[in-house]
Amino acid sequence: MAPLVQVEHLEKRFGEVRALDRVSFDVDSGEWIAIMGPSGSGKTTLINILGGLEHPTAGRVAVDGMEIANLGERELTRYRSDKIGFVFQQFHLVPYLSAVENVMLAQYFHSITDEEEAAESLRRVGLGDRLDHVPAQLSGGEQQRVAIARALINHPKLILADEPTGNLDEANEVVILNLLRDLHDSGHTILVVTHSQVIGNMADRRVELEHGRLARISTPSVAKE
Amino acid sequence: MATRSMFLRILWKLLGASRGRLAVALVALTSGAAVSSALLNVNLDAERKLTQEFRTLGANVVVAPPSTGSDAALTGAGVMDSIAGLQSPRIVAAAPYLYVAANSGTQPVILAGTWFDQVAKMNSWWKVDGNWITSQDSHLQCIVGRDAARQLNLLPGSSIELRSGEHTVSLMVAGIVTTGGAEDSQIFTDLDIAQNLAGLSGRVTLVQLSVSGTPPEIEDVTKRLAGALPGLDVRPVRQIAAAEGIILGRIRGLIFWTIMLILALSMLGVLASMAALAMDRSRDVGLMKAMGGSVQRIMRLFLVEAGALGALGGTIGFLVGVVLARWMGGRVFGVAISPRPVVFPVTIILTVAVALVGALPLRLLGRVRPAEILRGE
Repeated sequence: MAPLVQVEHLEKRFGEVRALDRVSFDVDSGEWIAIMGPSGSGKTTLINILGGLEHPTAGRVAVDGMEIANLGERELTRYRSDKIGFVFQQFHLVPYLSAVENVMLAQYFHSITDEEEAAESLRRVGLGDRLDHVPAQLSGGEQQRVAIARALINHPKLILADEPTGNLDEANEVVILNLLRDLHDSGHTILVVTHSQVIGNMADRRVELEHGRLARISTPSVAKE
Repeated sequence: MATRSMFLRILWKLLGASRGRLAVALVALTSGAAVSSALLNVNLDAERKLTQEFRTLGANVVVAPPSTGSDAALTGAGVMDSIAGLQSPRIVAAAPYLYVAANSGTQPVILAGTWFDQVAKMNSWWKVDGNWITSQDSHLQCIVGRDAARQLNLLPGSSIELRSGEHTVSLMVAGIVTTGGAEDSQIFTDLDIAQNLAGLSGRVTLVQLSVSGTPPEIEDVTKRLAGALPGLDVRPVRQIAAAEGIILGRIRGLIFWTIMLILALSMLGVLASMAALAMDRSRDVGLMKAMGGSVQRIMRLFLVEAGALGALGGTIGFLVGVVLARWMGGRVFGVAISPRPVVFPVTIILTVAVALVGALPLRLLGRVRPAEILRGE
């Protein structure tokens, strides 16, 4: 069975700066990958390219059989809507929409809205009593749980999380990690950008970047060059 | 259906979230709509009122025999009946004239026989000392032009005996008229008296008409008159028609450009407010695009929002404009301007257009690159 994600000789330059330099790796369906490395190593650039938010300068990226490196703006929009679920460090919820409406917004851009389904996805992340709260009325952990519910609502092939616990206290970090583990257990494919060794140890594999290059791919127990 | 309901839900929340900035844009739109609506109402009513007022400034169409300088008088009853038969509401007044060369003692005078009620309608600005003859049947009275009165030493209440050929008539001077024109040296009496004196019963020299309306409307009536009066010249008085046209055109132009200026100022207000709003929303747009929101779908939200704002501003502005037009009408014309229904849709269309153009900064949000926005750049 072909890998869900195929990255081959991926390059991304911003002017003279080479953010990614010939990075190659695959991700199988249902895998949990932690993308790790120091700041400026190209982690976020990698996840942005995988999410269709940026075009690579060179190389090949295929997700679920779709070559995304040369897609136009319209096709990338459809790709993001159909195949990707984003979770950001800053949560990035729409401040004037309630929790359930934030989830419905993703449905709206994907196809049709179903308020009951959106509410159910919030109940699954423990926010059944916060459906009508706007982000300002929610704690950081609750906001991130709304973001996770939003990321999952369209049943994406790939969940891309960029430092999902970076803005959370320890208690909320545990809640979010448990949610990510549940998602993984239920068969979701997850790529998480993180500095956290805890998350790195929970992942199936770690893709480590240094200065835009692939330094190593390792598992929590066995490291391989 | 669910999608449309979500669209309205987001739209409603957008309006609520940005109410401060949108209120500023709404004030700009409402102000522009109010002044535009008032001026449009004034423009439409002003044209009507001015053309009415023009019609008190003298005849603007003349019916005369084809050969100028001919002594031949035309048949009166037929001409006046044909004019009446047109039943045109644009004909404000039609005054037949029979000019008779007569003598008062040894002094030659021009006697103009006419219908006084019609002359009064189209020449209300004539200055009369004494009394105007109001009834069409006021026999044995006359109005004397200022110069003729001076020459013949006549005053209101004086008597004058006129002779033409074998016929004589004695008339009482009801008033002395000053027009500043040829009328000042003429004596006006009832048409029948002039016809009897000249022995030209039932005949007139020419007919002066006062036709209301814009130059094209006057031209239309002139054509219909020409069709109804074959063999006669129906001529608009070019100087008057042209002057009326120029005045109306200038007023229209002035109002048009004032409206354009007001709408441009209003659009600047909207632009400023929308530019600030665009800054506020760039993060939301970046997020929506990252979630798979197409530019068209996101822009549709903003454009409908701007359109709704324009429609609301246009509606409030129209109502305020009606009050403003009444006030302006009172100041300028001495009467309230009546609101015209057609101004409402025109105001709405103009205001929505201004709002959509003013929403340009929001349209530029379509170029936002989500990766940059989400990185916080």
